[in-house]
Amino acid sequence: MPSQDPESSTILIAERDQSVRKLQELFLKRAGFTVDFADDGREALERAVLDPPALVITEILIPTLDGLALCRRLREDPRTRGTPIIVFSILAASQRASEAGATAFLRKPLVDSIFVAAVNDLIAAQPTKAVEEQWASR
Amino acid sequence: MGLEVIADRRADSRTDAENATERMSAGNVEADHILGGGFPANSINIIMGHPGSGKTIFAEQLIFHNAGDDRPILYLTTLSEPLSKVVRYLQGFQFFDEEKLGTQVIYDDVGPQLAKDGAAALVPLLENAIETLSPKVIVIDSFKAVHDLAPSVTERRQMVYAMTALLTAFGTTAFLLGEYTEEDILLYPEFAVADGIVELSRLRLGNRDERYFRVYKLRGSHYLEGAHAFRITDSGLDIYPRLVSPRMPAGYEPATERVSIGVPGLDEMLDGGVWRGTTTLLAGPSGAGKTTIGLQFAVEGAAQGEPTLYMNFQENPSQLIRTIRSLGVDLEHAQSRGLDLVYASPVELQIDSIIVDMFRRIQERGVRRLVVDAIGDLASAATDPQRLHDYLYALVQHFAVSNVTSILNFETLGNQISGEGVQNAMSYLSDNVLLLTVDGEERTRRRIRVLKTRGSAHDPIIREVEITAAGLSVIG
Repeated sequence: MPSQDPESSTILIAERDQSVRKLQELFLKRAGFTVDFADDGREALERAVLDPPALVITEILIPTLDGLALCRRLREDPRTRGTPIIVFSILAASQRASEAGATAFLRKPLVDSIFVAAVNDLIAAQPTKAVEEQWASR
Repeated sequence: MGLEVIADRRADSRTDAENATERMSAGNVEADHILGGGFPANSINIIMGHPGSGKTIFAEQLIFHNAGDDRPILYLTTLSEPLSKVVRYLQGFQFFDEEKLGTQVIYDDVGPQLAKDGAAALVPLLENAIETLSPKVIVIDSFKAVHDLAPSVTERRQMVYAMTALLTAFGTTAFLLGEYTEEDILLYPEFAVADGIVELSRLRLGNRDERYFRVYKLRGSHYLEGAHAFRITDSGLDIYPRLVSPRMPAGYEPATERVSIGVPGLDEMLDGGVWRGTTTLLAGPSGAGKTTIGLQFAVEGAAQGEPTLYMNFQENPSQLIRTIRSLGVDLEHAQSRGLDLVYASPVELQIDSIIVDMFRRIQERGVRRLVVDAIGDLASAATDPQRLHDYLYALVQHFAVSNVTSILNFETLGNQISGEGVQNAMSYLSDNVLLLTVDGEERTRRRIRVLKTRGSAHDPIIREVEITAAGLSVIG
C-alpha cells in the first residue's frame, strides 16, 4: 500500500479503450485510489498542469497528443516535471517511453496484481516535487 | 504484463520485440514444437473439433501443466457436458493433479446461469471471474454451445465483441472449445477475432481411426503447417509432428567415408562400400535376400560398434531372431554392441508415429546405421500418396544431414522396379539402388545388380549371389 493515504492520490489516466478503462477503474478504486480519465493527450495535459495528479498513466495510442508526446510535455512543464508517469501500452515501446521521460513502462494487457503493485510502488517511492509543492501550499 | 521501471533500469535484458511474443506452453512438447513455442500469451484461441476428437483432453493437459502458485486457471463448462462428467474422466489422466484442483485449477459450471439468462450473461460472468479470481487462463467448454442461447445473429456478434474486448484488455490467455466444422470458420464471428485456431480431427479408416492436429491460424508466429497425427493416451495427446525436410546446415558437406555393407563381394561392386550418410534402396521380389542383406548390414554395423537400428515390419520378433541366429550371429553380443531391433505390426501402422519413433531412436542413441524392412509397409500405411512422397523425401534428407547410412528394403512384384508410384519415387530419391532378382526352374538362381550409385563408380555386371548358413555373398 502507498505510504500516503490512497484517497488523497488521484491518478489521471489517458485511455480510450473502454474495456481497459473499466478494468483500470475497478482495480484502482478497489485499491483505494481516485481515478480520473482523459479521452486524449491534450485533455490529459491540460488537466495535469492545472491540478497535478499523484500519477499519470497513459497509452501511447491516444488522439490529439500521443502518449509519448504527453510524457515530453509533462516533463517540460515545471508543474508536472516530477510527476511519475506510467506508459501503459499495447505497443512494446519501453525504450521510446524512457526517452520520452516516462518513469515506468507496462505492456498491455492488464494484470491486476502487477498493475496495482506498480501504481503503489511509484506513488509510495516517489513523493514528487510537484506533489510536495502542492502539499506545501495547502 | 511486466513492469519496467525506467528510472533504475530494472527491466530484464529482453528487447521489446522479444517481449512482444511471450508464449504459453500447451503442456505438450510436440504441440509446442508445432506451435513455434506454444500459444502466444494473452491471446484468444479456438480449439475446434467433433465430439470425441480430444479437445477437452488437450485443454486439460494445458491447464494442469500451466497451473502454479501464481494466478489460478478457470475452466468454465457451459451446456455441452456436465461438470461432473468432465472432472470424472479427467482423473484417469496422468497430468491430473488433485492438489491443484480447486486452488490452482478452478472448474465452474456456468451452464445453468447461461440457460436462465441467455448468451448475454457470459460477459458479466467473465467480468466477475476476472474481478474475483484474476485467472491467467480461461477455458470455455463449449463456447459454440453458448451461441445456441443467443436469439439472433446480432446478439451473437455483440456477445463475441464484448467478450473479445474484455479478454483483450485483461491479461489472460483464453481457449474457446467447440464442436466447430471447417465451414463454421466463415460463419462464427469468434474465428475472425481468434489469435490461434487449432483443429483436432478424426478419420475413420476401416477398423482403426487416424487423428490429426492442425493449426489453422496463429497470429504473429510461425508454425508447422499441415496435419500432424496424434493418439490419445493416459498421458494426454501423443502428437507426431509431420516430418519436414531439414535445412541443410551451412557447413554441410557429404561424408567422404565408405561404409561396408557386410556382404562378401558386394562392397567391391560398390567401389568399396557405400558413402556414409547415403540411402540405399534394396529392391527385389520375395525370397530374393533383401532381409538377409539388411541383417548383414546391421550386424556389420554392430561389429564396428556403430549404433544400429533395424526397423522391421515384416517378421514378428521371434521370426526375426530365429533368422538372425540362423546366420550364425550372436544376437546378444550384437545387441550389446549397439544393435536395436524394433518391430511394428503392419496392421497397426500409422506412418507418422513410426517416423517420429524412428527419429527419436536415431537421436537418442546416435544411430549411424538404419535398415527399414520394408518401405512398402510404410507405403501401405500411408493414406495420402503425396504425404508419403513428402515423408520419403524428408527421410532421405534427414539421413544425409544426420550421417545415418540406411538401407530401405522394397519388395517388388517381379524382377523389375516399377516406373510408377513408390518404387519410382524411391529410385530417384535414393543415392544407391540395388536390384535383387530370383529365377530358375530346376535351381533357384539369385542375382544382384547395381543400378545406381550417386557420386561413385560401380560394377555394371549382374552378379550371382547365394544364401548359405553364413548369409548372402556374391559368387560370380
